[in-house]
Amino acid sequence: MTGQVPERPDAAVREEPAPPLADLPYGPEPAPAGPSAPPAGAARQRLHPLTPLLESFRFFAAAAAAVGIQVFTSQNFLFAVYVAVAAAVVGGIASLIALQYRGFVIWGPELHIYSGVLTRSHRTVPLDRLQSVDLVRPLRARPFGLAQLNIEVAGGDGTDARLAYLKVDRALALRAELLAIAGRPIAAAPEPEADAAPAEAAAPAEAGPGALIPPVPVRRLAVASLLEALPVQVTALAVFGTAFAVTGYFFGFSTVATTVWFGFLAPALLGYVQSTVATVNRFLRNCRFRLSRDGGSLLVERGLTDTSHETVPVDRVTAVNFDEPVLWRSRQWRRVEVWTAAVAQQGGGAVKSTMMLPVGDPGQVALVAAESVPELPSVFAVERPPRRARWRMPVAWKRTGAALDERVFVVRHGVLVNTYVAVPYARIQSVRVVQGPFQRLQGLATVRAMTAGGLGHDAVARHRDVREAVAMAAELRERADAAAALERPRLS
Amino acid sequence: MSAKVWDLWPGEVQWQPMSRQLRTVWVLRSLLNVLILAVLAAVPLTIWLGWDGLLWALGGYVVLAGLRSLAVARTVATWGYAEREEDLLVRHGLLTRRLSIVPYGRIQLIDLSAGPIERMFGLTTVQVRTAALGSTTEVPGLDPPVAAALRDRLAVRAAEVREGL
Repeated sequence: MTGQVPERPDAAVREEPAPPLADLPYGPEPAPAGPSAPPAGAARQRLHPLTPLLESFRFFAAAAAAVGIQVFTSQNFLFAVYVAVAAAVVGGIASLIALQYRGFVIWGPELHIYSGVLTRSHRTVPLDRLQSVDLVRPLRARPFGLAQLNIEVAGGDGTDARLAYLKVDRALALRAELLAIAGRPIAAAPEPEADAAPAEAAAPAEAGPGALIPPVPVRRLAVASLLEALPVQVTALAVFGTAFAVTGYFFGFSTVATTVWFGFLAPALLGYVQSTVATVNRFLRNCRFRLSRDGGSLLVERGLTDTSHETVPVDRVTAVNFDEPVLWRSRQWRRVEVWTAAVAQQGGGAVKSTMMLPVGDPGQVALVAAESVPELPSVFAVERPPRRARWRMPVAWKRTGAALDERVFVVRHGVLVNTYVAVPYARIQSVRVVQGPFQRLQGLATVRAMTAGGLGHDAVARHRDVREAVAMAAELRERADAAAALERPRLS
Repeated sequence: MSAKVWDLWPGEVQWQPMSRQLRTVWVLRSLLNVLILAVLAAVPLTIWLGWDGLLWALGGYVVLAGLRSLAVARTVATWGYAEREEDLLVRHGLLTRRLSIVPYGRIQLIDLSAGPIERMFGLTTVQVRTAALGSTTEVPGLDPPVAAALRDRLAVRAAEVREGL
């Protein structure tokens, strides 16, 4: 009855040793005891000297532009020389100072990253929690042969670490080293696919024979991008055209052109242009797509202007997406994406998946699916929601469904882009059944199976029959436990 | 459609009710919230209608607060949790019914929290988080010893059957 803080009564309890656990220790053996932080004198590995320059790339570009305009207008070329000399001296000194404080140390099972001149920061990355290591080569770093490593551990915002910039071959070696440290317990596990892989694992990343799928022809990728963007583009153009014609008919085209243009159409057009640019960007990013296997992880290399290397540990895959845009249906093309527990900020997006196959025919899709999750089929027989739910989604109803497959929970949804989401049972975190007021009147309910990471890729089975939904949730729980028990338990 | 979602769960589930105080706390909280609204609405009403506006605001407050308290009181009755062998079930919701199932093996964090009004009545909320974003499951309105005991049981079970991401 008092305003007592609830933690008090058990504070003493917590001091006591925890009750005995199960007989067998779960998870990997604890790492041999060692100092948790490297000694102050430990040799730090340095980043490339050009790093500060590249990181303030935008600033330099802006400064160069400003100086250029100044020179052009005043015709004072000596000024440009002065500025260049000053920038070189100041930039060089600043870089040298900054580099002294930047670096990283691999110390036991941890990676320590140091940065900051005025505000020092020291980030410790436990490598046994490693989700993936991506090698990215931004356009500005490519002329210098430099690359950046994005290191991801499980979790939300701010849990990724960056090592920028390094020479490409050094970055590749470092990535291999980090993965080796992180993957040691995984490699020791008796996994069936680990045995089949060593021949490919030995192949260097640059070589061709390790590739799992033939390179996606640029022509097909272009056609696919076009077909995917077409419905949106046509709709947008039709809406614009109709709006313009209708308003013009009533108010006169010239008034509309001047007044409405700036108020409504221009922003809308901006959005349209942006979506077009995004499509082109995605096309460029998926060019020269290569997928290969390295032990327990999949390597993705892609990009025309910005090349990126991504690594996906197969046993960290939380969900596989099969996307089928409307116009791909007749060609039976599909796209495969994979989610892991890491949520990266790369590219500004909050939620990120890794492309496994930008576009492929059924055979390739099946191959990639089986690689990303062992024995995952690529074609699923999903069951539609009951017919009484049809008025809720008149167009999508036919292409909506859910199924409890042998190894995965499969959900299908979407109109313009029809998507199958397959979540391995072992990766389901928690299950939720929600029933809104209208659903209750109809005896429907929605089942949501949540996986680690973002909200975007939960498997949501909408509008199932109530009994079926609850039974499905119970079944999901049982299968998740069974699947998790089969896996070699691990802590992260 | 009288059967509630959680009643359809297969097998026998022992639903634990929340503390009796929870209803009082939540009704009080909703009264306070509506009071803030009423005060905010009273100013323009007074300017518009003169002193009659205050009466209108008071009347509106009484009606709204009555309805809201009724709804809240009924909502509280729907809350319940059940500890099963492998997972924790939490149910709640009057209009939208929710049933959350959290396996012990996936629990990452357990928080205890108590707001000012809750503390006045000696209540505690247990929050259970898994690695999935937005999957925080709350068990509100427990007596502190019950909450601490629940937390300890959950923590022990979570340590015993830790499962991966």
